[in-house]
Parts: sequence; structure tokens; C-alpha cells
Amino acid sequence: MVEFVVPEPDYDRYSNRQLAAVPLAVLALALLVLAGWTLVNGVPVTPGIEFTGGTEVQIATDAPQSEVRQSLDFAESVQPIAGSNEFIVTTQSTDNEAVRSGVQSAGYEIVSIQSRSASFGADAQRLALIGIGVAFVGMSILIFALFRSFVPSVAVVASAFSDIVIPLALMNIFQIKLSLGSVAALLMLIGYSVDSDILLNNHILRRRGDFYESTYRAMQTGVTMTLTSISAMSVMWVVSRLFGIPLLPDLAIVLVFGLVADLMNTYMMNLSLLRWYKFEGVSR
Amino acid sequence: MNLRENWRIVMLVVFVLAATAALFAPAAAPDAGANNSSAYGSASGPTNLKFGLELAGGSRIRAPLVGTTAENLEIEQGRRASIRQTVGNQLNVSTGDVSVVLNTGNGDAVEVLVENVSEQRFRAALTEAGTDGEAASIRSGVTAQTRQQTVETITAKINRGGLSGGQVATQRSATGDQYVVVDVPNANTTQVLNLIGDEGEVSIVATRPVQADNGTVYRNQTVLTNRQLESSQIGVAQTGQNGQPYVPITLTEGVARNYSQDLVDLGFTSSDATGRQSCRYRESPEDPGYCLYTVVDGEVVYAAGLDPGLAENIESGEFLKGPSFIMQTRSTDEAQRLQVNLRAGALPTRLAVEDGTVLFLQQSLGDRFKWQALLTGLIAWLAVSGSVFLRYRNPRVAAPMLATAAAEVYLLLGFAAAIGLPLNLSYIAGFIAVIGTGVDDLLIIADEILNEGEIATGRVFQNRFRKAFWVIGAAAVTTIIAMSPLAFLSLGDLQGFAIVTIVGVLIGVLVTRPAYGDVLRNLMLDQGGD
Repeated sequence: MVEFVVPEPDYDRYSNRQLAAVPLAVLALALLVLAGWTLVNGVPVTPGIEFTGGTEVQIATDAPQSEVRQSLDFAESVQPIAGSNEFIVTTQSTDNEAVRSGVQSAGYEIVSIQSRSASFGADAQRLALIGIGVAFVGMSILIFALFRSFVPSVAVVASAFSDIVIPLALMNIFQIKLSLGSVAALLMLIGYSVDSDILLNNHILRRRGDFYESTYRAMQTGVTMTLTSISAMSVMWVVSRLFGIPLLPDLAIVLVFGLVADLMNTYMMNLSLLRWYKFEGVSR
Repeated sequence: MNLRENWRIVMLVVFVLAATAALFAPAAAPDAGANNSSAYGSASGPTNLKFGLELAGGSRIRAPLVGTTAENLEIEQGRRASIRQTVGNQLNVSTGDVSVVLNTGNGDAVEVLVENVSEQRFRAALTEAGTDGEAASIRSGVTAQTRQQTVETITAKINRGGLSGGQVATQRSATGDQYVVVDVPNANTTQVLNLIGDEGEVSIVATRPVQADNGTVYRNQTVLTNRQLESSQIGVAQTGQNGQPYVPITLTEGVARNYSQDLVDLGFTSSDATGRQSCRYRESPEDPGYCLYTVVDGEVVYAAGLDPGLAENIESGEFLKGPSFIMQTRSTDEAQRLQVNLRAGALPTRLAVEDGTVLFLQQSLGDRFKWQALLTGLIAWLAVSGSVFLRYRNPRVAAPMLATAAAEVYLLLGFAAAIGLPLNLSYIAGFIAVIGTGVDDLLIIADEILNEGEIATGRVFQNRFRKAFWVIGAAAVTTIIAMSPLAFLSLGDLQGFAIVTIVGVLIGVLVTRPAYGDVLRNLMLDQGGD
């Protein structure tokens, strides 16, 4: 049977600088990707039709993908749904009736159709940004109120920031567009990522006992938590993608990105800041 | 087992029973039986759960209303008509498209219910009409009163148009824009848009040739307005013996008197107006002769001359004793629509569908999403179970943990059934978020209680439980803060997700997760005593 034991890392061997260097380098790389993307495309992450406006049609037909693509010249992308004779067709056109009649005259059955105007999409995008911004600021204020000391609070907030930025960069690399699902995932990450950080801070700062002992105890719980979530989300990504359920695949994959980033950020960046604080920062 | 000591478990059991009642008891659904049509999907399935469009199929149209509103004005009751007249003339729109609404939330208001009203010209027109145009605050959109009236009219149109179970509501976006949301199960968007896509303003216009200095010109005059038709008795759309579809109408006495007087005055009862060829609209629309147009939203949908028999009745005054006539149309579809428009009345303004969203989903796809989402959730839960068992290798710890996580979702479903929340895909994402945070918290409780060795007394347990709860509480508050912007200022797409997550976290922190602590204590104390 597979052993599930959280390994105890030999933190003694690495200096704080060394520990923090890896997550900071990854964060810098992620920011670079986002900056580069902004330079080339004008936006840090490519928004999907939920935010730009456009139409998404799910059609049923026995025709092969190439034929569908050919007959629907307005289509921007044609994606098959595994295990069915259906395709998801997206286009920038927001004229629902025109797209509908275009699809129908090509002889395909419309299973679902959804269109959003550009102005509505822009509204939704603004709202999503406001939502993430307010959530992040609210979370930061709460963390500062809970710990009431600068360095540990900054450690949590920085780690949460990186947990959001890294998935955003990965979305660009894997060509995942910003959708309602990924926005939901980013919001969930704010909650999830803080869980393990609070746990670590709590064990190190509020408990008696040796630093490394407390750390390991927090890790045992925290790593299990994160791995459990990662396993659930990976499975969900595979299944919901196969089924062609909207919303859920984006949500799952962005959470997987974020949770993996969280493992690194919590137990390298956050930890190195806490160790510095505990052994050097406090005595100053 | 001591009930006092285990009150958290007792509370969980009570909640589970309540959720069961909400989910399965026939009477628990808010409007089961009383009005099945108001909630789609309520009749289907073994539970009281309601499903939204994404899981039940149907159409949703969400759009702002066309119009521009000037607020913070002061208008005397008696000047309403003159203001409408002046503003309409100044802006070149019909008086019917200008309305004056007194005592809105922001003072008195004037709204112009057409597209592209320039703010500058609107201000000038208001000043011209004797109000303080410069001080008015002008925004796009309409007043709350007009919005409400639109919602009511759309509801009436949908119900009378044979599309049952539709729901119409207004929604406010975070940016302050107001949208009207129309949800109709079992209908495609074309059907819905045909019914509500236009204002549906019906009138009868009489057109006739008049001799002028430079030859014959045509004059139009509205002889029956939408409002006058609304007050009439509208029959059921049907097809006549000649195969021509029509809607029978019986006018009220006052309206009938005006109508017949107008027709006589306009010469429609004279001999050259009632002949077979008196209305030649179909052959030569430029030179139609004497025609009565049926006009819907400015478009002539039917034209006919006055029937000679009817003309005679009108002339003799016989018509007033039984003031009924028929409005003919080109197709049964059109007759049906005309009937709906006449009965429900015209919309005060148009839905700007091009600035909104349109969604249609086949019922079969919705059904498929339902079980697929259920299966996805189940598989995710199994994945969680797998890792939890691998970690603890002790069913005494793991089994109650998984049961608790499942109970959390069950309670949430009960909550959804109890308040009649229509479930959508974003709610399912919320359920998954709740399982995620739930299992995290249960792991924290389990580790905190088990890791520090034997539990000697209840006090030690309480102490550890409190420590665990600090972390859980902090994490829960963070999640709630992260979700609240979406729960409060959403356009609705992620609102369900946010609400479910918040309620789930609350149920978890206040009910299920503490109960798990108690379960664990009982199991561990038992074991310790062995």
C-alpha cells in the first residue's frame, strides 16, 4: 500500500535566503510572463467570451470536426466533446439570432447557445476585478488584525499574492482564458491558500516548543490538506473536461495551479520569513 | 452517551433531519402544489430541489431597458402633459415615448424611452419645458416605476403567450446598471424574443387620399390607440372561414363612439371608401386608397378597407349597440402575437437585447449536466476519501471525517430546497468549494486532537478543540470575506457560487465541524478505555 507520510524536510541545511529564493524567482518569472503578455496583448490574461462578449454554441452533428469548422466560417474555435457527437463552437459575434440561423442553415442541431454583448462582458470583467481586489484587501486586513505583527502577516499576504499570480501566468502558458470558472477559482485560492499559512503561523508563533517541531506538525496537517484538495481538483478537472461541463474544468485546473504554488510558497517563502522573524527579527 | 456533553452531535442530527424534511417532505417546498408553474423543474425528480436554467433547460434573456432619465427635477402635477409635449417636440420623439414620473427616489423625473438621446439636447429640452434642465442629473436607463411596469407587462405577455413557468425580475449590477432578466423554461430564445423583443404597441391607423393643391396626398390618423384597445374585450385568435386569421375585438361604448365618429368624419363610410377595391395596399402601397392599417411598433402588419356591412352599421349608429369588429392578420402566428400584445399591453420601452445576454439550453443537456455534475462531485469526494484514508489508516478517524464532509453538502442541499434556490452550475462549484474547505478544517481538528498524545480528560479535549477552532475560525472568516464582494455586488453569474460557499462555511463552522470534534472525542475515549 502507498505510504502517505509527509516528509520532514531538512530545513537546517538551507539559509533563509536560499529558501526564499526559489519561490521569489518563480513569482518574478510569473510577473514577467504577465508583463510580457500585457505588452503583447494589452491585457495580463486573455479574457474569454464571458468578458469580451461573444457567442458560444453547443451543436450536435455526426459530421467530423473539420467539416464543422469549414461550414461555420464565423467560428473562432470548434472543440469536440469527448464521448459524444457534440461540439462547442465559439465566435466573437454577439448577434445571437444570426449565429443561430447560421448554425441551423448548416444543418446542425443547437443543444445550447449563449451570447453576451461586449458591454455586458466589460461590466462582468470590471466586477470580477473589483471582486478579486476587494477580497484580497479584505483578506489582508483580516490577517493583520489576527496576527498583529508585521512580518508574519506580510508572509501570509505575500504568499497569497503569489498563489494568485502564479496561476495567472500559468493560464497564459497553457492558453486558458479568463472565465467565470477561473475567477471563482482565484477567489477560492484566497481562502484556501490562507488556510495553510494561518496554520503554519499559528503553530510557530502561538505554540510553545521547538521551531522545527512546530513547523513539522503544521506541515503534517497543512500538506495533507493541500494534497487532498489537489487530488480532488485534478480528478474533477479530468472528469468535468471529459463530460464537457462548462465552468468546472477551468475552476479545477486553476485551483490545481494555485494549490501547487501554495505548497511552495507556504513552506519555503512563508517559512523563511517566519524563521527570520523568530530567530533574528524579534531580537532586534 | 451524555446528551449534554454531546450537544454538538445532537445539533448536527437535528439539522440533518431538518434538511431531510426540506428535501423530501412534500409540504416543505415553498410553492409545491399551490403554483407549480412559478418554479420550473419543481415537479420533476424525487426531491424538492429546484434547478435553474443551466440544469433544467430553457431560455434566459437579460438586458437593460432602452431610455434616458433626467432626475432631481421638481415638477408640478398639472404640468406633466405640457412637459411631455415640449420635451417630445424638442427631441423629435413621439409624446408617447416621453414620460414624467413624480416622486421617484431622486425627486421627480422625466424619461425619454428611445435610443441615443443626447444629454445636451435633453437638458435644453427640459429647460424649454420650464424645468431646471441644468440641475437635472441625467443617466441612461429608466425609472424604477417604468422598470416595474415593464416586468409586469413581460410577465403577462409570457403567461398569455403560452409559455408557462416564466420568471421575470430585475437585477442590479455592481456598476449600477439595471437589467431585466427573463427566464423561461421549455422555450427557445426565438420564441421568447418574438413575444417580448419589441414593445408590441398596437394601433389602428386610418389612411385616406386627400385633395391638395399639388394633387392627391395621403393623410394618416390613428383611430384606435393601444390604450383604447387595451380597455376593450380581446377575443381569442382564430381563423375565419376564408382561411384568414383574425382577433375579434369588442370596444367599450365610449371608445366605440369616438371610433365610429372618426371613421364617418374621415369619409370611410362613404361609397368610394367601402368598395371591394377601396384598399389597394397590397398592390400599390404608395397609393392604397382608403385603408385601415393594423400597426405594430410602427410597422403595418395588415391593411384592409372597411367592410361595407360594417360601414352601414357605423353610419346608421347600429354599430354602437354591438361595437365589435375583427382585426385580420397575415398568419396565425401573427394573430396569436397580436392577441398577446393587445391583452398584455405594450411594453413601456424596448429591451436592449443587443446590450445583454441570451442563453438557451436544451432540456436534455440540462438533465445531462445534472447527473454529470453529481458524478463529478462524487468522484472528487472519493479522491478526498482516498487521500484521507491513506493519511490516517484508521477508519475511526477517517470514516466520520468523510461522513461529516458529506453531511455538510447534504445540509446545504437542504438549505437550497428550503429557500427554493434554483441550482445552477456555479452552485455546484460552490458545493465543491465547501467540501474542500470542510475537509481542510476536519484535518486540522483531527490532527490537533490526536497528535499531542492521549486525551486524558474532557478538559484537555476542550483545550485542544479550542486551539483547532482558532485556525478554523480564522480560515472561515477569510473565505467569507473573499466571497462577500461577489455575493453582494454580483451580476448573478457567480453570486450563487459565493452565496453557497458562504452559507456552507457558516454551516460547517457552526454545526458540522464542531460535531466532528465530539464524534472524535467519543471514539478516542472509547479506544483509550479499551
